[in-house]
Amino acid sequence: MNTVTLKVNGKPASADIEARMHLADFLRDTQNLTGTHIGCEHGVCGACTILVDGVPTRSCITFAVACEQAEVTTVEGLDADEVATELRAAFSKEHGLQCGYCTPGMIVSARDVVLRMQEPTEHEIRVAMSGNLCRCTGYVGIVRAIQGVIAARRARGIAAIPGGDHRKALGPAGSGHATASANGTATRIRTSPAAPALAAATPAKAAAAPRQEADWKPQTTFTESFVVGHPVDEVWAFFDRIGEVASCLPGASLAGEPVDGHVEGQIRIKVGPISAEFQGVADVSRDEATRTGTINGSGKDKRSNSATRGLIGYAVKPGDKPGETRVDVSIGYTLTGVLAQFGRSGLVQDVAGRLIAAFVKNLEAKLSHQSGGGDAEAPPVITELDAGSLVSSVILGRIKRFFAALFGRR
Amino acid sequence: MTEQGVGASLLRKEDDRFLRGRGQYVADIRLPGMKDVAFVRSPLAHARIAGIRIPDANRDRIYVAADLEGVKPIVAVSGLAGFKVSEQPVLAFEKVRQVGELLAVCVGASRAEAEDLAASVELDLDELPALHDMIAARKPGAALVHEHWGDNVFLETFVDVNMEAAYDAPIKVTREISTARQSMAPMEGRGTVAVWDKRMEQLVLHTGSQMPHIVRTGLAECLGLGQEQVRIVSPDVGGGFGYKGILLPEDICLAFLAMKLDHPVRWIEDRREHLTAGANCREHHYIITGYADRDGKLRGIECEATVDSGAYSSYPFSACLEAAQVASILPGPYDFPSYRCRTWSVATNKCPILPYRGVARTGVCYALELVLDAIAREAGIEPHEVRLKNLVQPEQMPFDNITRKHFDSGDYPEALQRAMAAIDLEGIRARQRQGEPDGRLIGIGHSIYCEQGAHGTSVYAGWGIPMVPGHEQATARMTPDGGLEIRVGVHSHGQSMETTLPQVAHEILGIDTAKIKLVHGDTEYTPYSTGSWGSRCAVMAGGAVATAAREVAGLAKGIGAHLLQADVADVKLVDGHVVGPSGSVSLETVAFTWYRRPQDLPASVDPRGLESTIGYKPVRDSGTFSYAAHAVVVAVDPEMGDIEILDYVIVEDGGKLINPMVVDGQIYGGLAQGIGTALYEEMNFDASGQPLASTFADYLLPGPTEVPAPRLDHMETLAPYTEFGVKGIGEGGAIAPPAAIGNAVNDALKGFGAELLRSPMTPRRVLEAIQSAKQSKEVLEMTQGEMA
Amino acid sequence: MKPVNFDYARPADVGAALALLADDTLAVKIMAGGQSLGPMLNMRLVQPDLLVDIAGIEELKQVTDRPDEIVFGACITHADIEDRRVPDVTRGALPSVANGIAYRAVRNRGTVGGSLTHADPSADWISILSAVGARVTLRGPAGNRTIAVEDYMLGALEADLRPGEMLVSVTVPKLGRSARWGYYKSCRKTGEFAHAIGAFLSDPERGVSRVVIGATESRPIVVTDAQHLIGDGRAERLDRVFDSHAAAEAIAAAGMADPIDRQTHVVALRRAIERAYSA
Repeated sequence: MNTVTLKVNGKPASADIEARMHLADFLRDTQNLTGTHIGCEHGVCGACTILVDGVPTRSCITFAVACEQAEVTTVEGLDADEVATELRAAFSKEHGLQCGYCTPGMIVSARDVVLRMQEPTEHEIRVAMSGNLCRCTGYVGIVRAIQGVIAARRARGIAAIPGGDHRKALGPAGSGHATASANGTATRIRTSPAAPALAAATPAKAAAAPRQEADWKPQTTFTESFVVGHPVDEVWAFFDRIGEVASCLPGASLAGEPVDGHVEGQIRIKVGPISAEFQGVADVSRDEATRTGTINGSGKDKRSNSATRGLIGYAVKPGDKPGETRVDVSIGYTLTGVLAQFGRSGLVQDVAGRLIAAFVKNLEAKLSHQSGGGDAEAPPVITELDAGSLVSSVILGRIKRFFAALFGRR
Repeated sequence: MTEQGVGASLLRKEDDRFLRGRGQYVADIRLPGMKDVAFVRSPLAHARIAGIRIPDANRDRIYVAADLEGVKPIVAVSGLAGFKVSEQPVLAFEKVRQVGELLAVCVGASRAEAEDLAASVELDLDELPALHDMIAARKPGAALVHEHWGDNVFLETFVDVNMEAAYDAPIKVTREISTARQSMAPMEGRGTVAVWDKRMEQLVLHTGSQMPHIVRTGLAECLGLGQEQVRIVSPDVGGGFGYKGILLPEDICLAFLAMKLDHPVRWIEDRREHLTAGANCREHHYIITGYADRDGKLRGIECEATVDSGAYSSYPFSACLEAAQVASILPGPYDFPSYRCRTWSVATNKCPILPYRGVARTGVCYALELVLDAIAREAGIEPHEVRLKNLVQPEQMPFDNITRKHFDSGDYPEALQRAMAAIDLEGIRARQRQGEPDGRLIGIGHSIYCEQGAHGTSVYAGWGIPMVPGHEQATARMTPDGGLEIRVGVHSHGQSMETTLPQVAHEILGIDTAKIKLVHGDTEYTPYSTGSWGSRCAVMAGGAVATAAREVAGLAKGIGAHLLQADVADVKLVDGHVVGPSGSVSLETVAFTWYRRPQDLPASVDPRGLESTIGYKPVRDSGTFSYAAHAVVVAVDPEMGDIEILDYVIVEDGGKLINPMVVDGQIYGGLAQGIGTALYEEMNFDASGQPLASTFADYLLPGPTEVPAPRLDHMETLAPYTEFGVKGIGEGGAIAPPAAIGNAVNDALKGFGAELLRSPMTPRRVLEAIQSAKQSKEVLEMTQGEMA
Repeated sequence: MKPVNFDYARPADVGAALALLADDTLAVKIMAGGQSLGPMLNMRLVQPDLLVDIAGIEELKQVTDRPDEIVFGACITHADIEDRRVPDVTRGALPSVANGIAYRAVRNRGTVGGSLTHADPSADWISILSAVGARVTLRGPAGNRTIAVEDYMLGALEADLRPGEMLVSVTVPKLGRSARWGYYKSCRKTGEFAHAIGAFLSDPERGVSRVVIGATESRPIVVTDAQHLIGDGRAERLDRVFDSHAAAEAIAAAGMADPIDRQTHVVALRRAIERAYSA
């Protein structure tokens, strides 16, 4: 806990809060200013829009602690504001509100439009208001109300101030007021020791064994083939060393050797600021006759309540030239839980594509290394997905090919 | 019409508090000692629960199904023959059947802390094959959502009226048409604050609800409480659209915790919960065939309709309302002789499907109106000509259609013709021939629908769901200073009833609307009602308020007559005064006398005073039929697939409008939602039943630039059976847009021979339709070339 | 939808920020305006031990005007550029694009550095700054390094940050007097993620001809010498010299296999060129 002090509606407002408390919760829960509404809590709907340092800001994705000493104005602070007063009358006259939930954010954004835009067209007003969603009015009355207030003010000779009249400073609104400590050290707020020490569940069995459903298919599958200059038998033998195969997948490691075809392990995936650690087990099977095999794994990431299942299939066969081996690899996965529940599957596929490209490259490198007579324990080339080395042109080429496979599948 | 009475565009009484941020929504309620609740929800669509591991240290703040002693699951049956019953557990046990299903409930000092607790719970779930495709789920051999059913069909219905007589029609057009699963997405999600009132020995549940009395009944039944032990308070509600009519397992959990713990508890649904776990609607699939003569005269409609009902039957509307309704409303406002419709309500591993503004009508209108345009293209005549040939004519009114819907009044052809004139069909056709300088393709489309509203006992008794509307009651009570309180069991959350119901009372009593207060949203203070749904409030609550006000008027006249020393038969109520042959007395004086100077009244005075609670039903309760014709011009960008709405006209007939400004607002808002259905909103799922829209960046709500200001034109055909001739219009705006826009897009693309038959009509779907039309054209040309 | 608990630090300067980043026993996240990170924190997609708020660091809000280029601190906001509180050296390109980023309330806090580091392929800065040939400067334990902005994005949500490094500034070249630029993005609705972006710069005085195909679900496709697509910049009507066939080939060669995606990206580029103007 830490005391954060803001100037809210002209008065100092302090509260002891955790760093994770966003500005909307600060206003609502510590100041009882419930006119600021929360509609999405991810910065899209605009219901929580307030003024910070005089300009509209999303209070649901702005942390209170980051606005130390900033000036905050909520809808409650606009009672006597001239533009807001005109807007309230116009919203009522034009029926620009029904349920009233989006209204405080609308008033704050509309006020900004009235102040900033000299003679906007209807379309320009709509664009400028596009960060505020309303589910009731179809925006007709809202837009008319704003048009009316602008027209009346301009007729009274009150001009707009482009860019708004409040902001001179550079950088994020609300930031930079707090005096940073001298000598270059950081102001630091620690999570309160009084915060509940949340116990973790006692680790049970590592994870459920993947069920052998005959009809389970990965939702996304990448396939790749390459040729290594090494006899089939040795390549086939390599694939039996499951630990080595697994280590080609960046971030993956096994807890031990397989027992009865089962092996425990984990894969740690880090994508920008997101990281997930899937822990689970894999089933390994091989068919000597056809020289094909599968590694069928599943794991859970406790932090994100997400899970993944993956299926690696491989087949080795003689290449066109003697002593060469052709390797066909397919990697498929299905992701469930929070990490899966987004519409922009292209992003996930890009990440998966890069991961798998690294796997294939590592596999190829290891096999080539071995076929070149090197040490079988040579480390993989790429150990973490976010390593800069991933953007070699070789990999980029592969990504492109994976993309080709992907887009073709749509 | 007076300045404040029925027909006046009175500015809203509720505006000021909302404009100043003083509305009070559930999340704004602060109770001493209140704690926050977060849920552990299933990450999987279908799984067996092998275990729920809770750290010992947190065990006293986390509850699972086994802890909910005496709590019964939610059961919403339908009386329709063959309906299979689902039990929606309050907290899941044995199995989870949808992503987001509740597994445990956590109580923390703050929501953040409650979420920390939820994150400390580990789940052992054995994934089962998930059903995400309703057509696949209908087939034999599919995995089972409810094992003991043997299949996944909640209900199958079939209706046939002389279908085979149409089979020799020269035009036969079959289309597969579907609408995406959507989310109602009111700007405020659900929320509940529950507390046990020790003095009243009563559970008080503050919850944003369209239907507080129904929630009370359902909640009491699940908890085994007497209904007098439950009070539901629905404060300001930030939009409902159907989602807030439903009794949620979350509500029951909160009620349970409030009774078990010694402090109030609060759950405020966040947007991810809303989109992925709760608020789902709309998903329809049709295979529909239109049979017609060469001149466009309809011979019959044949349809197989499937609705994805999700995992459970929700309370109180049940899982089958939507699909079964399809069968009865598919014929729309058309008069034709042959009809066959088979429907399935199918269980899948998704959220229960809930009614959303327009309910089944939006999908039905989309399917039927797209097929009518396809018939027009086949017959080579203008689409509106096809409609004019088949619409019910004004001289047929009242008209019982092929599914025995009773159309009360209206002139549908007139509405369509006005819309076509306003949109300038000829001008647009000329513009199309000329082509656009920017290469876009212009299309014109229209649709027409009827909206059955305020349908009552005679309609709902047959459905056999937990709720059947009867008489709608209202209380009107004069205050000692001559003001009026109105109490209704419906709830106003954007419908403006705090303004419009006082207008109704004013019309009868003449009391200034500033002195008329609407009390709603509290089971303690209002008469029982099924609540706000089905475009019923203006008709039913309006009628009830008028009836109660009339009772009070009679009582006031009695007192006034005494004060005037006149016979009650000789006095009238005029502008808030009781006027007799030789003088008048104000209602203020009448009220003052009754409440504060009873000594001035004779012993024979009517003891009911100045207060009345009374019920109302229209003369006939089969529903009002409002309707509208929508016409739209779009520009389709054939390179990017973008669709821009250039012009939009709505000609609407809602009978007598209590407040035209408010009605316009309902139409504008409905249109925006209809455009969302048509072009933007889609709740996608992957093959394992994972919802792919958990944010407003994935689930696109139309913003200001996506919604045009339409041109409105009103017709006024009074309803013959209701007070003032009012018809329900609340949902209509959302019904017609997908069909009108879809027809316009298909008109724009007809040069390619491309058709879009699925909403939303996204840029990608536009481009795919063009691409596949081009490919089939090439194939055709190739074959023709080879043959030549 | 509340974040996990985290520690919060507000360093006074870049050195202090780097010192905090150096602690590899913690998951440390840098936050500037927080307009991309905020939602991810609320959704618990990101669960840091320590959040380092760099928005108060003066150096990161400075603007340095040099003869041939201008240097923006990492915490300059979209609105700072939109409102021209910082000088424009791109003949209107950056203010115009800034005006179309998300929504005004987001632009008042969202920063250029934050957007580039978030590395969303659909974001605007990565595409337009790649088009104008901007560079980013990263500072870490080993000192400063400066790379082309298009090389900073490795893929979706992945920036080329080495351990302990942070982005400190963006350097934008001053465009020539006859430079022309264009930018077109296709979104399903105003302010939402782009599904296709086309951008170009034609600056004959500096001999620069660049083309960017953005919003590809991964890194943008950047053609640093785009004379074969848009000529040398001397044509009066660039759209008449634009070779859309060659652009389609470039996009296909970059691995975009879906014909509809290829089409929309070529069209976005063509429209960027059609709408080109010199300010």
